[in-house]
Amino acid sequence: MPIRFKALSYIYNKDMPYAHKALDSVDLDIREGIITAIIGETGSGKSTLVEHLNALLLPSEGSLEVLDYNIVAGQKQKFLKPLRKDVGLVFQFSEYQLFEETVIKDVAFGPMNFGLSQQDALKQAAAALKLVKIDESLFNVSPLELSGGQKRRVAIAGIIACDPRIIVLDEPTAGLDPKGAREIIDLFVSLNRQLSKTIIIVSHDNEMVYNYCDETVVLSHGKVVYHGPTMELFDDKKKLKEFDMLEPQIVSFRNELIEKGFKLSKDARTLKVIAREIAGQVKR
Amino acid sequence: MSLIELKNVSYSYNDSTKAVDDVSFSVRKGDYVTIIGHNGSGKSTLAKLIAGLLPVKEGSITVDSLEVNEENIPQIRKRLGIVFQNPDNQFIGSTVRDDIAFGLENKQVPSDEMEAIVEEYAKKVGLTEYLNYEPQNLSGGQKQRVAIAGILAMSPDIIIFDEATSMLDPKGKKEIKQLMYDLAGGDDITIISITHDIEEVLQSDDCVVLSKGKLFMHDVPEKVFANAEKLRQIDLDVPFIENVRETFGKYKIKLKANDLKGMVEELCRSGSKR
Repeated sequence: MPIRFKALSYIYNKDMPYAHKALDSVDLDIREGIITAIIGETGSGKSTLVEHLNALLLPSEGSLEVLDYNIVAGQKQKFLKPLRKDVGLVFQFSEYQLFEETVIKDVAFGPMNFGLSQQDALKQAAAALKLVKIDESLFNVSPLELSGGQKRRVAIAGIIACDPRIIVLDEPTAGLDPKGAREIIDLFVSLNRQLSKTIIIVSHDNEMVYNYCDETVVLSHGKVVYHGPTMELFDDKKKLKEFDMLEPQIVSFRNELIEKGFKLSKDARTLKVIAREIAGQVKR
Repeated sequence: MSLIELKNVSYSYNDSTKAVDDVSFSVRKGDYVTIIGHNGSGKSTLAKLIAGLLPVKEGSITVDSLEVNEENIPQIRKRLGIVFQNPDNQFIGSTVRDDIAFGLENKQVPSDEMEAIVEEYAKKVGLTEYLNYEPQNLSGGQKQRVAIAGILAMSPDIIIFDEATSMLDPKGKKEIKQLMYDLAGGDDITIISITHDIEEVLQSDDCVVLSKGKLFMHDVPEKVFANAEKLRQIDLDVPFIENVRETFGKYKIKLKANDLKGMVEELCRSGSKR
């Protein structure tokens, strides 16, 4: 098990009048090699949870195992650098953090920081930029000249260039137009399928979670209230209501059809498959 | 009657590319108009030009027959409010009450009148119980509602929403959209909303589609979305319902309804189920 939270709590402003328990005794195992979504209302603890994965935040109570690292509340951590190389964290609106003069230098900053020579770092950076589909003609322009979607992909390339085993993306599609969002989704799906990276995505976009994430964790008031296969969650009307979640439209449509007596297979999860299966059941 | 008129408006930030390129359209009084387009299509630039946040260099914009220029901007601003994307960047007061009152103070509204106005608009956006809250104790949707209350308190007749829901969680999005629909329901306020939310567009009276700075389409939403292929060419999505219509069309099943329930009923009617 690459990631295991054990009774982990995190308290902001501990011992202060404004102390706030953002995570409350979280027990959670996240599987390797799959795409896991972390969802929940604003303030439910999603970002706090993922910021523990590379020890940006250290547990106030409990512990956390990530790959071969064990992070225990109250203990000094000696392995921050290798941990941060293995777990890449892409923040919300990561494009605001681009700072170098050129795109390629920005992406090479991470690998150089982890000890690569400039030449090797630039090589890794070029490969990462290719992966996020940033054209070579843009390598030497200022990051500020890129579009929003491009900037975000460059920021993600900066993480990929460090070759992490786990990639955590905090709201990677927020604020992008449909095309920009699709490019980011294609990117993390291919990182998972082709390079077997473990992907963890914090998201508010239920449609995206439904279509692309294998498992889903639902947080509420700092506690894990659901963890399991994404399809099972979205098929469970009672749970969706309990968690105050909107049903993705494709799920509403599928449920409505089944309710009216149409037969749909378990795999009928996309419009194409649904239409194909329904076509056999109606006069055309 | 048209309230806002754009005639051959162009704008470039530097000389090389035109962010807005020869755009003309008009907005009727009381309408709810959505502007869609890919990132970089010129949507926000256009909104800033209408609001006088950028100078109109080419073409002309009029608001209620008043030319948007340096001289008239103070007058136009009095009747126009903008809600921006990031709820954290537009909170000025230290409490909800102070924030809603900020514009009124600037307008030198006497303090005994101010309290009633603040409370009226806090009620309108459903935040009466939060008047003494500090911004950090509010959700994103609540912060946006405070921003909207502050604008409404100035009694504008035009409000521009610049991707006002894009940074909110689903609940916040729903809250703000509902508030926008309520405001749009009356005839007093004209709304221009820049959005990526296709489902929101379906609720608007009129939709302006921009691509690479140019006016690509301007029509009622149903007509805009009837042309799915054209929209996809400029990297825009179509509403789920249009995707359903199109996908079933490929299987020679014609669906005419304008909502999912209606479509399922159509399928039931044509369905001699096996």
